[in-house]
Amino acid sequence: MAELISGRQLRRVATIGAVAAVALLYLCMVGLVEAFKDRNVVTGVITLGAVMLLAVPLIAGYRAALPPRDAAAQSLRAPQRVLLGLLVGLIAGAVLGVFVLIASTIDVRGVLVRISPPLLEFLSLGLPSGLALLAITGIGGLMGALGALLLVSPARIRNAVTSGLIAVLFMSMIEPLLRPRLEQLDYTAISDFLYKSHGLTEVASILCFVVGAVAAVLWQPGNDFVRRTVEAAPVQTRRRIRGWTIAALVVAVLILPQVSGTFLAQVAVLVGLYMLLALGLNIVVGYAGLLDLGYVAFFAVGAYLTALLTSPDSSLGIGLPFFVALPIVMLGAGMTGLLIGAPVLRLRGDYLAIVTLGFGEIARVLFESDALRPWLGGVQGILGIPSPFPVRIDLQLGATHIFATGPQVFYYPIFAFCALAAVFAYRLSNSRIGRAWNAMREDESVAEATGVSTVSYKLLAFALGATTGCLSGALFAVQLGSVFPGSFDVFVSITVLAVIILGGMGSIPGVILGAIVLIGLPELLREFVEYRVLVYGGVLVAMMLLRPEGLIPNRGRQRELHEADSEEEQETLDGDLMPQRSPA
Amino acid sequence: MRFRLPQRINLVSTILWGLRIVVAVLVLAGSWATLSSGKLSPDTWRDLIIFGIAQGSVYALIALGYTLVYGVLFMINFAHGDVFMTGAMTAFFVARNFGESGFLNANPIVALLIIFAVSMLTSMLVAIVLERIAYRPLRRAPRLVPLITAIGASLFISNSIRGIYGEQSQTYPSVDALQGRMNILGIPILKTQALVIVSAIVLMIALVYFVERTRTGRAMRAVSEDKDVAALMGINVDRIIVTTFAIGGLLAGAAGILYALVFNEVDWFMGFLPGIKAFTAAVLGGIGNIAGAMLGGLTLGVLESVGPFLLLGGANVPSPNQLRDVIAFTVLVLVLIFRPNGILGRSEPGR
Repeated sequence: MAELISGRQLRRVATIGAVAAVALLYLCMVGLVEAFKDRNVVTGVITLGAVMLLAVPLIAGYRAALPPRDAAAQSLRAPQRVLLGLLVGLIAGAVLGVFVLIASTIDVRGVLVRISPPLLEFLSLGLPSGLALLAITGIGGLMGALGALLLVSPARIRNAVTSGLIAVLFMSMIEPLLRPRLEQLDYTAISDFLYKSHGLTEVASILCFVVGAVAAVLWQPGNDFVRRTVEAAPVQTRRRIRGWTIAALVVAVLILPQVSGTFLAQVAVLVGLYMLLALGLNIVVGYAGLLDLGYVAFFAVGAYLTALLTSPDSSLGIGLPFFVALPIVMLGAGMTGLLIGAPVLRLRGDYLAIVTLGFGEIARVLFESDALRPWLGGVQGILGIPSPFPVRIDLQLGATHIFATGPQVFYYPIFAFCALAAVFAYRLSNSRIGRAWNAMREDESVAEATGVSTVSYKLLAFALGATTGCLSGALFAVQLGSVFPGSFDVFVSITVLAVIILGGMGSIPGVILGAIVLIGLPELLREFVEYRVLVYGGVLVAMMLLRPEGLIPNRGRQRELHEADSEEEQETLDGDLMPQRSPA
Repeated sequence: MRFRLPQRINLVSTILWGLRIVVAVLVLAGSWATLSSGKLSPDTWRDLIIFGIAQGSVYALIALGYTLVYGVLFMINFAHGDVFMTGAMTAFFVARNFGESGFLNANPIVALLIIFAVSMLTSMLVAIVLERIAYRPLRRAPRLVPLITAIGASLFISNSIRGIYGEQSQTYPSVDALQGRMNILGIPILKTQALVIVSAIVLMIALVYFVERTRTGRAMRAVSEDKDVAALMGINVDRIIVTTFAIGGLLAGAAGILYALVFNEVDWFMGFLPGIKAFTAAVLGGIGNIAGAMLGGLTLGVLESVGPFLLLGGANVPSPNQLRDVIAFTVLVLVLIFRPNGILGRSEPGR
């Protein structure tokens, strides 16, 4: 062993193995494995719970085989790397195996409520306890070695395998979406070929894997070819290509609810509502750099003002038409933004966050309280908000008859408002105001010195953010037909924040992507609902640690966030101030 | 287009003055109405104040964690409320076991000490891991980055506990020896509340001794003055920062048990409100200032318990106790707006 792997490598293996073991135990204890252990990925072969468990030693093995920074390890040969991965996997598997052994002899359910007999049965693969320990350890080692093997194999194979696996996972995840729709459209043959009891069939999964792998192999050359062709084309052609792309995108978005059916339309409506919120908060957080944790207050104000003005059952009882009420609602929310913004503008970033969080909670408690019940309805909320949009639309286009119901109709106004808000925000960010916000965010004192009235611009950001947020609230109220204070808790603010952080602060495409990923995906994983907030928390931490600029970064923002790094590099280049930065 | 507000009327200070006047009028009118109506007896007021002090000492212990961390890192450890929750939730299982086996009533002092130790150690561990994983890599990042990380960590910890221990709230077993009232200086005080206040005082004295008199405490103060210079003086800054988090965790764990003694029920979400309130207390006293955190905690505790009845009781507002959180948050907002340096805080220009 000694000549094969150095002591330093062994220590690294032990650390990574321990982390992987903790991750495995955590997944079991927190209940994620239990929640997903009956969700088929490939029916009869593997479930989502198993995928999660297997992924941990796989990633750990990959990580262990990754060349560490010190020079001695660079010369590790491939078999040695695989051995490292195997060891890590064995450690992780053994710990889980011992845990299963202990848990099946002593009853731990009094404390760890998720360690249920079915879960233990699942973990031990139905084997008796001694064999189970061996089997779990072995599987862990195997996955670790496979992870390491993935690292040492050529990049092309690595990409092909990864994307093939992702394709299989993706196809099985969209089952609740695809299958009912296929059956509705009478493509039962396809759906039967693809799916069997909520998972992929074996043949279909192999097909998906192959398609994914081939796509990955062809992706790079294909991408290069397209780029080269476009770049070689004359300017006019390029412009035309761009125009067509945008047009195709718009058409795709427009016909989406028709193609996908009501379920996805319902999801899309939810995504749209959050997208609108995120676009609004993006003005405050992304452009002006003010961390507002009480953004839900504006959402609530929008919803409640709409309810008060349009519902005949509310305490005002005037029942205005929606589009007459909307400008009043927006004005009211803008004023609320000013009122909340004005006192807190002089605060530093972190204090501002807490104060706005406090405002959000105050708003919720007030909406809930008995004291204001005569006006706001207390816990019962306000009912009977009429919708200005028809429940069903019928269109006769020649011989074809098209109709849209419920969310399929509601999708369009939400989409329109999102598009409006996105264009508005985009124009804003490139205007004088946007540049003032940039300057203010990067350095407030310098901005002030160059003549930017920071107070005015901060207030403007707050007011605009509030107006956008209230639009979403108004649509939310109309869609639901009622408002309850329970819908406006702090998790709305946190969710919207997570959307912005994931996508990229100050980046509109990022915000759109973030909303689709964080709001849309969980709807496909019904078992997941309970773990949403857990994952949002994890996303916030992971993004800040690994990629603070978000998935689709705004260029200026990216520079700001990496300023510290480049300064450090500069320092080490300039002189040997700190020749040995600690590797940790 | 150049966007600018009219110069003559200063909008912001107008709103601020309006706010001051509204608050003053509301406070005066509310108190006058309640006191002149004489709805509540002096005994009730006394109990409310003592309850406020007990709850305030819990806030103060949590607030110390915020203040210590802020002192060395200048960041708000938003997840501190969840550190507090983790201790109380974990120790619950020990307490339940002791309660069922009868050990708790047979030997209450030893049992309580063990429960305290479990809670404090759990919280300390969580605080150390939190610092290591979430905060240490971000020391040099822009200010908003660690704050967002802390918010994420807070959600992650609380929801993990929800997953691991289940989401129903748990009731701590009651200790027979702590039932009823005892007389201190002629005032009858609930025994649990007396225990809470006394333990909090003991812990705070221990903390002050630690920070003022020990070597590590001196190193902590040095790091809080200037990290780079402290490092040049041979202080291991990373270790001092971990120590600070550990001490904050220990105090939070103790606060968790005290909280359980006062309120009996614990659940995975219990860290959120006390966390924000303790932060309010820390700011109220002047963040970064240890004595300030204690003073702020007690002030906030009393305000929160007396406030709803004093300000709203006379105005015939239905169920004023529902609005106690509003009072706490309003105090937070007002303090941050009008006196962000707190009662005992020194001014920090440019921060």
